Amino acid sequence: MRPLRFALAQGLLLNDALTALRAIGLDVSGITPGGRRLVVAGGDIEFVLARPSDIATYVERGAADLAIVGKDVLLESGARVIELVELGFGACRFVVAAPRDAVERSLDEYRHLGTLDVATKYPNVAERHFRARGIAVEIVKVAGSAEVAPLVGLADWIVDLVATGTTLRANGLAVIEEIASSTARLVANPAAYHLRRPEIAPMAERLAAWAAAR
Amino acid sequence: MQQQGPIGPPRGFRDILPTEARELGVIEQTLADVFADSGFTPLHPPLLEYGAVDPAKRRPIQFLDSDGTLVALRPDLTTSVARLVAGRYRDLTGVLRLSYVAPVFREEPAMTGGAREVLQAGVELVGGDGALADAEILALLAESLERCGLSVCEPTLQVGNIRLVNALFGAVPDETRAEILQALRQGDVPRALGRARDAAMPEGDLERANRALTGIRVDGVDKGELCRVIELARERWPGKEGRWGAPNAALVPALPYYTGIVFEAVHPHAGVIASGGRYDLLIGAFGKPRPAIGFAIDVLQLHRALYADRWQPRGQRPLLLLRPSADDRATMRCAAALRAGGLAVALGDVVERAGRAVIYAEVIDESLVKLDDGRVAEAASLGSEVAS
Repeated sequence: MRPLRFALAQGLLLNDALTALRAIGLDVSGITPGGRRLVVAGGDIEFVLARPSDIATYVERGAADLAIVGKDVLLESGARVIELVELGFGACRFVVAAPRDAVERSLDEYRHLGTLDVATKYPNVAERHFRARGIAVEIVKVAGSAEVAPLVGLADWIVDLVATGTTLRANGLAVIEEIASSTARLVANPAAYHLRRPEIAPMAERLAAWAAAR
Repeated sequence: MQQQGPIGPPRGFRDILPTEARELGVIEQTLADVFADSGFTPLHPPLLEYGAVDPAKRRPIQFLDSDGTLVALRPDLTTSVARLVAGRYRDLTGVLRLSYVAPVFREEPAMTGGAREVLQAGVELVGGDGALADAEILALLAESLERCGLSVCEPTLQVGNIRLVNALFGAVPDETRAEILQALRQGDVPRALGRARDAAMPEGDLERANRALTGIRVDGVDKGELCRVIELARERWPGKEGRWGAPNAALVPALPYYTGIVFEAVHPHAGVIASGGRYDLLIGAFGKPRPAIGFAIDVLQLHRALYADRWQPRGQRPLLLLRPSADDRATMRCAAALRAGGLAVALGDVVERAGRAVIYAEVIDESLVKLDDGRVAEAASLGSEVAS
């Protein structure tokens, strides 16, 4: 059997993830954030670095057995993986936001025109949320900077991921509603988790203990 | 008008060409034999069922027929069989042993590599109750995989029980427990435990549930119950040392209808290749409730696993490619004599041989052929010669 393969998201979560893995005694010395080597051996484990949104796909399809990835990514991708441990770092929230001075106007528009345009990088999360709330919206998918959309008239509202809310405030947006909160999770491919439980479970236990002690 | 239609099938569907089809045929035949050896008889539910909201959130491929009725390509066969049993066998309360080898269809998002057509082979034991039925079906799954050529080792078959998972969360109200089960079906262990903590489940129980769901070992009582059914299933091969079947309290399949024992067959390359369990309430959704248990093997995933294990389908008799002579009548008669002698014969050449061995021969007259090495043979007796 090949070594256990552990996928890590490049970007904001990487440093915290490496801290966690170091704390439970894994050898992550070969991984340099921003480095060019994307597959790195670390003792009995092979680490793979990938974009956060690809991590869920890697694990769902069994290309990686384990990963540390944000709940936000899992919510958007809908990937079928097993979430084992909530790690506590990387906290952020999915929110609905609108121009601070135009919430009333957009509600009036909704009464008269029957629908609102919502710009987002996360169409699945946004669609699910508004469907559950029974609000009729048109989702406009953008690849970045959704907070600009209301300013330029692309959409009325946005659904975005925020950590502190600074970017929203800087663009004159206010949070209307929180959809879900997110932190980093240890996830496993279901088949790999069942098949290689003796290798995976102790790691999950130690990471849970590390997260609880923080 | 120039028409440049798409040349491949729609996304998520694919052509199965002869090499693969031949191997799948061997697997399907083996599975049909194994099922028949345990008294299961095949049936064919229809390809279309009424469309409905699926509680498992699987998205069936649905459309409106010309009456405006919402219909769906069946997303699984267990539900079809349950509907059929509740309707057609409503007055027959005894035991039914039904089997199928048939495709099911599921909507998958684009660009995820997901297949929308899945070939399933499975059995449903309706009316079978208790540990004996559980063990028999579990053993039948092991036998099915093994007779197809898969080496079944201890972790290949994971065995859990929804009743035990329910018992782990026995301290919380029913409604909360349903939410917890739903989180576990979606694979979200932290949310399940968080929900239990919010419902003021005692710390000791929480710890125990956490250990059972994410720990290495399964605890005393739970392990006992899971091991009992595995040990009973192993009695299918009395005295045989081979250990297969791993107790796993964390096994909670995504399908919502399971009520008791659940099991999955997993393979390092192919992932989950079979799953099943007891679903005592599903038939009740269509009529009178009846205990039932079954499993479905994903035949394409099983094939993938066998391929990864360098499996070869059992030998097929070689194909004789017969070069015709100028006398068509003699050619036809010669081919007939060869076939009567037990050979598979094709007139002329065949490009797609699907990995099958071929012999060349040329018609001399209606009873004689010339083989490639120049030897002349009797058409009627060549078959037995090749066989030996």
